[in-house]
Amino acid sequence: MISSNSDALGIIFTNTYDSTIPELTARRSMASLPFAARYRLIDFVLSGMVNGGIDNVSLMVRENYLSLLDHLGTGKEWDLSRKNGGLNIIPPFANRATSIYSGRVDAINNILNFLKGQKEKYVVISDSNVVSNVDFKDVIKFHIEKEADITIVYRKDKVLNVDTQSIMDNNENYFTIDLDGTRVTGMNINPEPKRAAQNASINIYVMDRQMLIDEVTKAYRNGFTHFERDIFANNIEDYNIQAYEYKGYEARIMSIKDYFDESMRLIDEKNLDELFGHAPMRTKVRDDAPTRYLKGCRVDNVMAADGCVIEGEVENSVLFRGVRVGKGAKVKNSILMQDTEVKPGAEVSYVITDKDVTIGANKQLAGTDSFPVFVAKGKTV
Amino acid sequence: MAKEMIAMLLAGGQGSRLYALTKNLAKPAVPFGGKYRIIDFPLSNCVNSGIDTVGILTQYQPLVLNEYIGNGQPWDLDRLYGGVHVLPPYQKAQGSDWYKGTANAIYQNIPFIERYEPEYVIILSGDQICKQDYSEFLDFHKEKKAEFSVAVMEVPWEEAPRFGLMVTDDNDKITEFQEKPKEPKSNLASMGIYIFNWDVLKKYLEEDEADPNSENDFGNNIIPNMLQDGRDMYAYHFEGYWKDVGTIASLWEANMEVLDPEGSGLNIFDENWKIYSRNSGKPGHRIDAEATIEDSLITDGCRIHGLVKHSILFSGVTIESGAVVEDAVIMGGATICKGATVSHCIIAENVVVGPGAEVGVMPKRGKEGGVATIGANVKIGAGAIIGPDAMVENDVKEGTTL
Repeated sequence: MISSNSDALGIIFTNTYDSTIPELTARRSMASLPFAARYRLIDFVLSGMVNGGIDNVSLMVRENYLSLLDHLGTGKEWDLSRKNGGLNIIPPFANRATSIYSGRVDAINNILNFLKGQKEKYVVISDSNVVSNVDFKDVIKFHIEKEADITIVYRKDKVLNVDTQSIMDNNENYFTIDLDGTRVTGMNINPEPKRAAQNASINIYVMDRQMLIDEVTKAYRNGFTHFERDIFANNIEDYNIQAYEYKGYEARIMSIKDYFDESMRLIDEKNLDELFGHAPMRTKVRDDAPTRYLKGCRVDNVMAADGCVIEGEVENSVLFRGVRVGKGAKVKNSILMQDTEVKPGAEVSYVITDKDVTIGANKQLAGTDSFPVFVAKGKTV
Repeated sequence: MAKEMIAMLLAGGQGSRLYALTKNLAKPAVPFGGKYRIIDFPLSNCVNSGIDTVGILTQYQPLVLNEYIGNGQPWDLDRLYGGVHVLPPYQKAQGSDWYKGTANAIYQNIPFIERYEPEYVIILSGDQICKQDYSEFLDFHKEKKAEFSVAVMEVPWEEAPRFGLMVTDDNDKITEFQEKPKEPKSNLASMGIYIFNWDVLKKYLEEDEADPNSENDFGNNIIPNMLQDGRDMYAYHFEGYWKDVGTIASLWEANMEVLDPEGSGLNIFDENWKIYSRNSGKPGHRIDAEATIEDSLITDGCRIHGLVKHSILFSGVTIESGAVVEDAVIMGGATICKGATVSHCIIAENVVVGPGAEVGVMPKRGKEGGVATIGANVKIGAGAIIGPDAMVENDVKEGTTL
């Protein structure tokens, strides 16, 4: 194998934790949530895998995936439009009853035949709600060196305040791990929030492909639904489960407050460099012209994409592609998604607007630090 | 399956009047307008006009251009049949030649053109900034039952002697062609954009090639020969924005005109006629709290801490705190360090202007100072002073005055 390639295929779950941000996922999946002025959440893990030499990536899409499909196209923006491997989108299927499958075991069980037919030795599994620049190549190397059966990527983090009920309803969970060196000795599923730093899983796993096939087959046969609880936690004694510590930048989105705070955190140049300074992050290109700052505009501490036209005042805000801020308008502490228009004289503060929102002339809209106002896609205020 | 019209884009020009900017790249690859290169304009015009087959004739410093064009995907020109093809001169069984002239470049690629069996061929130039719908031009050509049409612009009479001029009758039929005449009979300047009926062009290219005294040039040979033979030749009046950006002054001026789309007519913001380009892949730009910015274009990857006024910044430009940027064109990856002043200038890719250095001078009323130019990858030392009209190709030591 050429060393710039990895002997691994990727599986990304696009809808895990959707339920934690119902407003933003009403018409899209977690994976296609706009983030950092010109990206969608999926871009980070997808770019990370490609940068790590993984060129065979399957996306397990479940609900509301139209916007994701539109974003991904053939995968050429990530160099994943390939004859062998490339981007493989696995549509949802109904299980025995009429409801859509739930949980990873069920989902992976559905693609066992696909997995059996692949040639890569390893499988890298990830969600899409964690923004990072994990070096997948290094994780796979670690997995091989430790002769691990399973490798879990974690980060020392305070445990987040998560709505556990809503994620458990979807057979999802989150967990922290106990360690002896790099060996995982215990798993705490859906623990109580604590202030102290924990070894929090960022839900990136490496397994042998054959082992994944065997374990999922076994779990499915036994009626197990929770991948982490029923496969990982049940086998801590028997398997060599290793933990890889990720020390780089992380933004984990598990509530609308997280979304707001993490968006704001990236306006800081130091954070921007930490996330983007290592390897390129690819996204769908929109061919906007550069952003125009007109006479009389005032701009302080702003991250913006191309295609914006700014005539008014913008402060501490994130502007996605094609946002327009009219004369005399004031935008403060806000996140304005693609093609939002703030008409002349309007004022917004602590607001998140979804795509194609219009704030009428001289209208005022304000949320608070702890409770930003959200305006749904296409609405006019 | 025949194509009705294909485009041949002349991109071989060395662009010697752009000096430092074209030291390592062909003129069509020169960056323009914040996130484009000059060649993005004719390529985008082709796609927006419905032309899906483009041959790009290169010969000077093609590396950057070749890599930039790639498979043509950014312009939607990665096609199964047609698409964009870079056509450098190549070795043949009997001898090989550089492209001797514009007509010879097309002549050498007759086999390429014939693969598409086109009825018409449009000849484009890779050193102009222009937004034009070539399908309207073709409509005119067909309506006039022309064998040759040339796009022309009305220019002020006093400037006419600098151009190739078309003298026409009331029906736009060309009666005479004057190449840079002392006494112009017309003020209709050729834009260097031609539509030919392919069968006619092919005949003239072959005859021209057989003539040992020919310069193998469209303006000097092909067009005069056709005129002499009384062919049906027409002038198409183009009224949009057009500029030959072959000099530092005109390149700077065209960039400044991007900043004033309402006044200049050069509107790159038109959603219905997008200009496509290869994406830098950088994250969004960032404007710091201490920055001041007005009347400027900023794109992905820029970091602004200083003052930016009436300027165009390409991707990944950093303006440190206390730096002042005015009437400047700053290309990708350049850094303007703390307290430096850059004005009325073009700064090429990856240049570093050191702390406190000064590049260019704003022209004073009545006293025109020219545009200063810093070539790619040059480092200007701290406190150095680079005056107007300067053309800097090598690093400048700390404290030097040029």
